[in-house]
Amino acid sequence: MSKTILIGSPNSGKSLLFNRLTGLNQKVANFPGITVNINTGKSLAHPANEFLDYPGAYSLQAISGEEKVAVEAFYTALEDSEISTVVCVVDVTRLEKGLIFALQVINACAEKQKPLVIAANMIDVLEQHNLDLDLAGLERTLGVPVVAVSAKSGSGLEQLQDTVINHRDLPTTYDSDFIASDESITHRQAQQLAEEFGPKGDLLINAQTRLDAFFLHSWYGGLSFLVIMYLLFQSIFTWAAPVMDGVESSLQFMAELILPLLPEGIISDFTADAIFGGIGAFLVFVPQIFVLTLIVGMLEDSGYLARAAVICHKPLRLFGLTGKSFIPMLSSVACAIPGIYAARTVDSPRKRWLTYLAIPLMPCSARLPVYSLLIAAFIPASNMFGGLIGWQGLAMFGIYVFGIVCGLLVTSLVSRTNKNMQSDLPFVLEMSPYRLPSWRPLLRNAWGRSKHFVTKAGKVIFLVTVAIWILGYFPNQGADLGQSWLGTMGQWIEPAFAPFGLDWKYGVAIITSFLAREVFVGTLGTLFGIEGGEENIISLAEHIQNSGLPVGAGFALLVFFSIALQCISTLAVLSKETGSWRLPAQLFVSYSIFAYTAAWLTFNIVQAIAA
Amino acid sequence: MTLWDLKQGTSATVQSFVSTLESRYKTRLSELGFHPGESISCVLSPSLGAPKLYRVNNSVYSLDDSVASLIEVGSAAGNAA
Repeated sequence: MSKTILIGSPNSGKSLLFNRLTGLNQKVANFPGITVNINTGKSLAHPANEFLDYPGAYSLQAISGEEKVAVEAFYTALEDSEISTVVCVVDVTRLEKGLIFALQVINACAEKQKPLVIAANMIDVLEQHNLDLDLAGLERTLGVPVVAVSAKSGSGLEQLQDTVINHRDLPTTYDSDFIASDESITHRQAQQLAEEFGPKGDLLINAQTRLDAFFLHSWYGGLSFLVIMYLLFQSIFTWAAPVMDGVESSLQFMAELILPLLPEGIISDFTADAIFGGIGAFLVFVPQIFVLTLIVGMLEDSGYLARAAVICHKPLRLFGLTGKSFIPMLSSVACAIPGIYAARTVDSPRKRWLTYLAIPLMPCSARLPVYSLLIAAFIPASNMFGGLIGWQGLAMFGIYVFGIVCGLLVTSLVSRTNKNMQSDLPFVLEMSPYRLPSWRPLLRNAWGRSKHFVTKAGKVIFLVTVAIWILGYFPNQGADLGQSWLGTMGQWIEPAFAPFGLDWKYGVAIITSFLAREVFVGTLGTLFGIEGGEENIISLAEHIQNSGLPVGAGFALLVFFSIALQCISTLAVLSKETGSWRLPAQLFVSYSIFAYTAAWLTFNIVQAIAA
Repeated sequence: MTLWDLKQGTSATVQSFVSTLESRYKTRLSELGFHPGESISCVLSPSLGAPKLYRVNNSVYSLDDSVASLIEVGSAAGNAA
């Protein structure tokens, strides 16, 4: 099988092109450096050819750790005899910038005698604005095939794939005029080529500047930022609520259908309590994860997130961070793991380390089921201002903000007291053009993230749910939960959680949630299901309301979950990224102590107010 | 005069980098277009000291004061395009 490398600058549309060429669902983001792994996929038109999507790079002269890894991987791949062609993706709306990188790639390919094809992407944007590009002239001058494509519309893809296949068999010769060792010569050549063959006029850049003047305006920009972020969280509830209700009704319908068919006893109890009670309680929150991923993806692809990074830079700098920390932190709102990977884009080692400290405190989607459950149990589902603002939505917004504030306070404190890695990289951020997002990859990505979340967390949840059910069911066949093995274990640990008003059931659920936060919901579902016997299918939130838990304990749990680092996957990925278990171990211990203390304080304050 | 001093809507020519700037960052800034002899325009200067937007050819970059003040530019050459 022959292999083709896809390489290009960030925002050249390379990842979307890869998706189009291979039919694979790779995340496409309109933000510099979002691609950090090498993805592979077979060509749709020529299955014997495989495409390798290399991380976006501004230059083959790496200055950051992430770029160094990508550039070294590219040079190593060029030595591989299986690599038959290299495709360099160039954004034709910003031709000079793309050509500087393309000329560096020509140099590398000439040195290793590898054939190169240039994919002149975003040709549809030029056509929309009646702008011309002299592709034939560029091809003639460079001496390599230049194919006009649009990754968005799909035009030119067939020709690109045919060119890749045909070109790999041709002898590799490069024009020595473009094999320069000096960076300034490369830059001058790119400038001359763009002037001679590129589109003329400032139409595109002027349109972008007008939008930037709005989105980065001191007042409108700040206001639109707040509105966009607020809508993001309200929509999690308003858009996802009907689907959540649908999932809940379907589960109830299935339970009513299946349970009467089962013989009474252990099988019926297991299906009702562990399957429908435990796992069902977790599945009902998947629609929210889908909506959140979809909206964050939309903001990324539209180019707005780069503007958000500019807006956030000055305030984040006050907390020892950079505007570039905004993307990893926002990604962590979906899941800490992609957030940790995205932190590679923070080129300053010190700022990246500080970003790692903030990430576990960002309100990730694994916390969402816990927050949703506790808010449903303790906050009334009423509205104010004629239904414009719901109390539950406001509470969710508040707990999300609380997590973010905690993260910023930690980085602020550490950045002022810790002097490690003081040497910093400068803040330079490319303002990618505004684009209308492509819905299909966004929907597929949101679906993929939800599926991955369920399958990844689902295995752990199933095992924990079954283990807890067994511990709670035996030795007396579920007759008295307090006398079960789980009940006995719970009595031992109850004193640890009693200071914030929680009984042994919550203690057990907190301990099991250290595997993964969302296990808390499944565990409680199983525990209340066992206790509730045949009536376990009623909502878990109602069970909590009926259990007489003090309101202070509900708030204490919310605070505990917003701080504690209960996620084995996050700890494992963090150790991988930092090269040791030192930072994850430090964070786990310190955030556990922080969470416990804050929860105790919250319980006492809320109880005092409630009294 | 440094790039950070450039007012919104004006342009200037890059003259040099402040000597304390590490060579790898000089290379990167040059690759992005901020190299001696290049004309740069300030397209947006938000208030409250937020990073400014600079246009280099057909690309726009946001630079904060910590880096824009390390790029020395010639006197303003008039209104930006």
